[in-house]
Amino acid sequence: MTEWLKRLRGYVKIIVWGFAPQRFINLCSNKGILLWNIEKQDDVYIMCVSLESFYRLRSIARKTKVRVVISERYGLPFFLPHLQRRKAFLAGLVLTVMFWIVSSMFVWDIQISGNCVITDDMIFQFLEQEGIQMGMRKSNLDIGELEKQIRRQFPQVTWTSGRLMGTRLLLELKENDAPIPEDTQGADAIIGRDLVAEYDGVITDMIVRSGIPQVTIGSQVAKGDLLVDGKVPIYAEDGTIREYRMVTADADIRMEHSGHFRIFLPADYILKKYTGREKTGYFMRLGDREWKQARKVSFLQYDSILNTHSMKILKMFGINGTFGKITYREYQKTEYLRDDSEAKEILQEKISDFLESLGEKGVQIISKDVKIETKCNGWVAHGELVVQEKVGTQVDTTQKED
Amino acid sequence: MQLPKDVCMGALRVTLTGNSEVWIENYRGILEYTGERILLQARTCQVCLEGSRLSIDYYTNEDMKISGNIVSLTYI
Repeated sequence: MTEWLKRLRGYVKIIVWGFAPQRFINLCSNKGILLWNIEKQDDVYIMCVSLESFYRLRSIARKTKVRVVISERYGLPFFLPHLQRRKAFLAGLVLTVMFWIVSSMFVWDIQISGNCVITDDMIFQFLEQEGIQMGMRKSNLDIGELEKQIRRQFPQVTWTSGRLMGTRLLLELKENDAPIPEDTQGADAIIGRDLVAEYDGVITDMIVRSGIPQVTIGSQVAKGDLLVDGKVPIYAEDGTIREYRMVTADADIRMEHSGHFRIFLPADYILKKYTGREKTGYFMRLGDREWKQARKVSFLQYDSILNTHSMKILKMFGINGTFGKITYREYQKTEYLRDDSEAKEILQEKISDFLESLGEKGVQIISKDVKIETKCNGWVAHGELVVQEKVGTQVDTTQKED
Repeated sequence: MQLPKDVCMGALRVTLTGNSEVWIENYRGILEYTGERILLQARTCQVCLEGSRLSIDYYTNEDMKISGNIVSLTYI
């Protein structure tokens, strides 16, 4: 801090020699002149003194019969005269500082995070309606009010936080993760929804939450059969049906059914064989415009590999800018033939991937019978599966009376 | 009332930090200054600092700071 102040006011490094340099130092301190970094080098004394005190040294130097010479100058008072000669540089410096100060009074970037269901476009559109956009003045921004407006506009937003980081407005949202309950009293309730079977099979497990079950565990059902009726009868005191209440049928029903699958693997396949010949070029992209280094690529077939870097400074101003290197790599398409063991290995892998994907979907495999056969132009894996899975597709309730 | 001696008698006050830095208050002036020896005049005595690469970091009417490799401090 002291060093910074010294440089602001300016100071000089002086060389003192002569009859009584010690007395010169003593007199300086007596007159309240601060000396620092005093060093003895050979026959001379080197020390620093502030610029304003330097002009008071003349009488002391005369009295003590020493000679004082400036060896180096430091600080702003010595730097400014140099600048005065470079008027364009000075003007540029002033303009830059002014531009910097003025620019920092505006919002130049808006970043939204935490939104999942609500898209960025929806939020940006809303912000634009509210008059919040890039280039607006920071002083016109009421973050507290904006947070309230976002919560009011988007009911699924449970929490918002806005803050300014430099010239960037950061908006953090938290959406409601809990599932929105189905509206059973809405339009569906007037029509009613049934659950029907998608496959032929046997019911193995059943939990009904809403609606009248039409099958039981162990029932044999066909594709399209009604599983749960969305039309709930309301009985009168005499046991007759007074009216029907329409509900959306809801149930967890598991069914055991059989299915067939078939995977074909051709005998030949084409693979890219890189020749090792490469060409590189450079490109730059600003928004929708692109500049490419003009290079004639004489390869017949080639891959273009782009290695891009984004220009983060431009991103701050809302411009999407990238630059990078393109590598053109030549290749030749080569046809290969699979042998029997290789094909079987690939098919086994494909079958296990297929079964795994079924497992991920909640399908439980009870039994499987897989066969791999050789055809004229490849191999075929086919098999029968007996699986257990959740069934029940919602369809509109049939209006006919039972 | 007991006042510190450096206040009431103007005695020299020397603060040494290791053998590399020394702060001195209540002196009258410098009598001799070389890179190996600094002789100071106090009110009642003289103080001699000996060592190597001795330099004065700052020097005011109130206090001074000397740094370097200090070997001895003698009251004369």
